[in-house]
Amino acid sequence: MFSYPVKELSVIVSTIIKQHINDAAWNWLQEKVVQNLPVAQFNAVFAMIPRKTGKSPVELTDIQRTEVQRLYPGLSFEGWSVDRLSRVWLLMNRDSTAEDQYVAAIENLFLAADMNELVALYSALPLLDYPSRWKARCAEGIRSNIGDVLTAIMCDNPYPAACLDEPAWNQLVMKAFFTDKPVDRIYRLDQRANAELAKILSDYAHERWAAGRRMNPQLWRCVAKFIDEKNFADIQRIGSSSDLLEREAAALACNDSHYPPAKEWLSRHAELKTAIDNRTLSWSTIAAGRAVTG
Amino acid sequence: MCCSHNITEKDIQPGRQDSSYLEKIKGMQFFDPHVHMTSRTTDDYQAMADAGVVALIEPAFWLGQPRTGVDTFRDYYSSLIGWERFRSSQFGIKHYCTIGLNSREANNEALAEQVMELLPLFIYKEGVVGVGEIGFDDQTAAEEKYYRLQLELAKEAGLPVQIHTPHRDKKRGTTRSMDIATEQGLDPYMVIVDHNNEETVKEVLDRGFWAAFTIYPFTKMGNERMAEIVKQYGTERIMVNSAADWGISDPLAVPKTAALMKAKGISDADIRMVTYQNAITAFGQSGQINEADFAAVKEIDQSRKFSGNTVLRGGQQPRIDKNSVIIQ
Repeated sequence: MFSYPVKELSVIVSTIIKQHINDAAWNWLQEKVVQNLPVAQFNAVFAMIPRKTGKSPVELTDIQRTEVQRLYPGLSFEGWSVDRLSRVWLLMNRDSTAEDQYVAAIENLFLAADMNELVALYSALPLLDYPSRWKARCAEGIRSNIGDVLTAIMCDNPYPAACLDEPAWNQLVMKAFFTDKPVDRIYRLDQRANAELAKILSDYAHERWAAGRRMNPQLWRCVAKFIDEKNFADIQRIGSSSDLLEREAAALACNDSHYPPAKEWLSRHAELKTAIDNRTLSWSTIAAGRAVTG
Repeated sequence: MCCSHNITEKDIQPGRQDSSYLEKIKGMQFFDPHVHMTSRTTDDYQAMADAGVVALIEPAFWLGQPRTGVDTFRDYYSSLIGWERFRSSQFGIKHYCTIGLNSREANNEALAEQVMELLPLFIYKEGVVGVGEIGFDDQTAAEEKYYRLQLELAKEAGLPVQIHTPHRDKKRGTTRSMDIATEQGLDPYMVIVDHNNEETVKEVLDRGFWAAFTIYPFTKMGNERMAEIVKQYGTERIMVNSAADWGISDPLAVPKTAALMKAKGISDADIRMVTYQNAITAFGQSGQINEADFAAVKEIDQSRKFSGNTVLRGGQQPRIDKNSVIIQ
């Protein structure tokens, strides 16, 4: 069944929505959500939501934010519009008793979705019932070339880390770097690092170097725990880069590594090591593009 | 070519590299209410944006050969509200569409039935500004049947209708299209009759419908004729489009026609009516057009491109210098 306390979360979501739409829209939406609508009507309601709710950005109170995190770690509604949240709320409340019908009705929405609908649908993946049934759908979404759709899957979405197998996860991370997404918002990016991904990213770095193109220094955050005699030369290379952010990334990667030469490299760069030890330098400062040493 | 030279239709044929006509329309904004971008390249999008096209409508139409199953209709409709809309936004152009079963394919009745079931799934989507393009091609009984059914659908959804008028037997086909729309109880003010010419325009306007003109080389209107029509009939309920598609056509037809009208002494205010405002007034009756979005799509798009958030390929630059032989 649901992997999280759906009723409790639904109450919070409904409170947030109510704060952002007018009474007429609220009454309409609430009435639609509580019914288990026949598929044709469910489709129409899903499509019509922005006409009723408008598209203002949602703002959560600190208490709401904490509650959402408590009920569903990794889930976030930051930067969402109210139509997106309303669509997700509709999906959360869809009666899931009959598994196949439930899955078919939602799959059908993907097939005829516009961009904003796709964003809402992929955002809803962590909140749907039968989590394992959406793996292929999630992997398919990662094949999209529409930026907002990719962001909805990759950023602040706890579904991929929880459900994707390693090849699909690696594809998500690789594509996030490839399309310049804010990778620090990939939930459990560090925890799901793996040797195969480290190899893929190292190859990617070599391609970028060959083409004379820049890359996101956070790439090395996924390589760090897998530094070995083969890829250590990459770390040495960015460690002597003219770009300070890259040198800082090299230091952070060495700090996360157990490979002795990496440890040794870090000990020879006292200023960087000190910055890491006193926490002025971290992957967050790299993500913010803010060099803190030198 | 310089300001002393008066531009003619010849100077602005599709494919001509001379872009000095752009000087005449600098700062003007255009809305092309009929253009099939699915059939066009990114060069076209770029050129349209450079010429001042800020928004467009892509009507669902025939893809040049008949479809064999309902799934390809669904994928096509879904690309109009999905991928194509995104592609357009990358050039800062707001993309709307109309959704419908075109007249040619209405003749495959078994398929047409299935498509009719599909349409309600799409016409309520955001940015769908009408049912279209529908109407007559061969003027068969099947065409009439699905035309009427789709008029009903539009009425029920409160959406404008975009009518394609036939190439052959155009005058009678146009009259018949309007007769049927009236019989089905549609308000003529909700109906845009497309591909008009000198022979059809008077009746369309007299009966209270919107008259759209397609500037399309060889088979439809030329833009010198178009300028004459505006001089004769004024600007009320008249709009210009390119209907550019997979044939030899010109996605810059609207801005070029504006330049030509300007050269022929038509006022900026009148040009604006027929190349921008009237289309918004007509299709805006769907409740789906917000002029503020034209600016928003530009801003969002540029921030996207420059922050690199949603570009397709890492490191891709927003503009390519076409004059450079070096590709980086």
